[in-house]
Amino acid sequence: MKISFFETARYRSPEPLPSAWPAPSGFYDRGAGARAYRDMIQRLQLVEELGFDWVSVSEHHYSPRILTPSPILAAAHIAAHLKKITIALLGPMVPHNNPVQLAEELAMLDTFTEGRLVVGLLRGTTNEYLTYDLNPLEARERTDEGMEVILKAWTEPHPFGWQGRYFQYRTVSIWPRPLQEPHPPTYALGVSREACEFAARHRIGCGVSFAPFEIVGKSTRYYREQCARYGWQPTPDHIVYRANMLIADTDEEAHAMLRRQPDRAPFVLREGVRDAFMTLDSRNVAGEARAPLRSGPLPTTFIGSPDTIVEQIRRCREAVGAGVLDLSLWPAGADDDDALMRSLELFGTKVLPRVRDI
Amino acid sequence: MAQHDAPGAGFEEGFVDADDFRIRYMVSGDGAPLVHLHGAGGLRLTPAHDLLSHRFRVIAFEMPGFGQSAENTRTRTMPELAGTMARATEKLGIETFNLLGTSFGGTTALWLALEAPARIRATVLEAPAAIRPEGSEPPSGSPEEMARRLYGHPERLGTIPVADPAIQAKQRALVSRLRGPDRDAGLERRLSELQTPTLVLFGTLDAVIPPAMGRIYQQLIPGAHLVFVYDAGHAISTERPEAFTDVVADFFERRDAFVIRRTPTLIHP
Repeated sequence: MKISFFETARYRSPEPLPSAWPAPSGFYDRGAGARAYRDMIQRLQLVEELGFDWVSVSEHHYSPRILTPSPILAAAHIAAHLKKITIALLGPMVPHNNPVQLAEELAMLDTFTEGRLVVGLLRGTTNEYLTYDLNPLEARERTDEGMEVILKAWTEPHPFGWQGRYFQYRTVSIWPRPLQEPHPPTYALGVSREACEFAARHRIGCGVSFAPFEIVGKSTRYYREQCARYGWQPTPDHIVYRANMLIADTDEEAHAMLRRQPDRAPFVLREGVRDAFMTLDSRNVAGEARAPLRSGPLPTTFIGSPDTIVEQIRRCREAVGAGVLDLSLWPAGADDDDALMRSLELFGTKVLPRVRDI
Repeated sequence: MAQHDAPGAGFEEGFVDADDFRIRYMVSGDGAPLVHLHGAGGLRLTPAHDLLSHRFRVIAFEMPGFGQSAENTRTRTMPELAGTMARATEKLGIETFNLLGTSFGGTTALWLALEAPARIRATVLEAPAAIRPEGSEPPSGSPEEMARRLYGHPERLGTIPVADPAIQAKQRALVSRLRGPDRDAGLERRLSELQTPTLVLFGTLDAVIPPAMGRIYQQLIPGAHLVFVYDAGHAISTERPEAFTDVVADFFERRDAFVIRRTPTLIHP
């Protein structure tokens, strides 16, 4: 099992913040922001030392919860400071970005990191559609088409044009190309039927997140079925599972930590917007409909003492088939950095060495 | 365009004699002439013909031996067929024209462009079949099997007309005689002579000719452009007629300059 650390550039606000999304920019404290990025590098140096395989960053906007609106910039900054760890972009949002620009910047990153890049391509959480004014009804199709543009831009040797539905280019010919051939390990992220099918058809990996084993297991099973239909068999490394973990010396302490977590959705939208999204955005797990927005906190699927966690990781491997676990070791947005550092050390010393063979 | 009309409803039928063949064609529209040479399945008008006829005078030929025409046992090679089609356009009084060739007709179009370069303003090759991976076979089988090879999304197209078996057999014999080897060294050597602006189109879901063949045309034809039509199979103009027409018309009108975006992006003045 490979282990990845989900880095959110933890911003500690000097004053209480409204919980709604978007968070008003006026609350932003410039010093606290600068400190968050400095601390991020220090923390990741420890993550690298502890022997984590990957560090992952993701794209979220307009909120202190995850302070990496440009995960590519975050990754470039991290790449300049760390020397061994693989950097995983899980992921840049495809539907509201220019896919050719993404292909170029990811190729630059792959070259900067001397091939230590992993790429996850993402439709994005529903609230993010507001960020760059994306029509929710078009998000899925723009994602599928944009992902295909990126793969094409990485692999075509001559200038080409693209006559798409949502994207049109007459001249694409990127420099640099990725260092890894034909391109960095790439994942289509999401539990949906469409993401799994896309990944299977293009022989790339599949990334699932946060839902419990039995739910993400449905998606990874569907992904493997689709891969068989396209005549190939994915390895465990083709499946990444991002999940919350709370680790403590004992199971009791870990559960007490869980009880102290805020009981609210990660992105709180005003009611009218939320209700409208519920009808305008549609989501599914391997074809079964699910709500586009969460009403409560993201589930914590790994919880307990190191022994308990090792057992849960073993079970996860069986139920989900993931060969890479991308861990959020302390809830994003929660501002107890010391608790995060304790979790990190505990996991790195007591769990990491015992899950290599799983 | 009346959406409910069958594709090609605005076209008129005509006949022209060339090389002792009586050649049927369908014509519609005003503007610069656009000559279309169909694929191995014969002439079938699509919504793309209608859309193109709003900007060009579209002449869609039924090449001798296809469709209702008599069996063609005389034409021995693709260059010969191209010569016949060149003479047919001449007989119609068309001096220079835009040339569109689909699949099998893409090979005919290449030979025509080589034999009569001064007459061709620009060439568009829709999923051309002149360069194929070794051992590739043209689509065959039941209508369902044919549809799965020809279209990326056959389920979106409704009922696909079933061709008359006698016509199919006649066409198949002609196609297998004229289609040439998978890699025709003689043709490929001559492609470097092509001076006419050329655009090659492939659907990203083409299951007859792999879209990667597009790279070879780019290498062999000086200055050739390659455009992928997203989510279309081999029959691009049937599956994505609007996207197809947009890029084809733009290329015929502006040739190399078609790479420069002209569509406004202003939201409010």
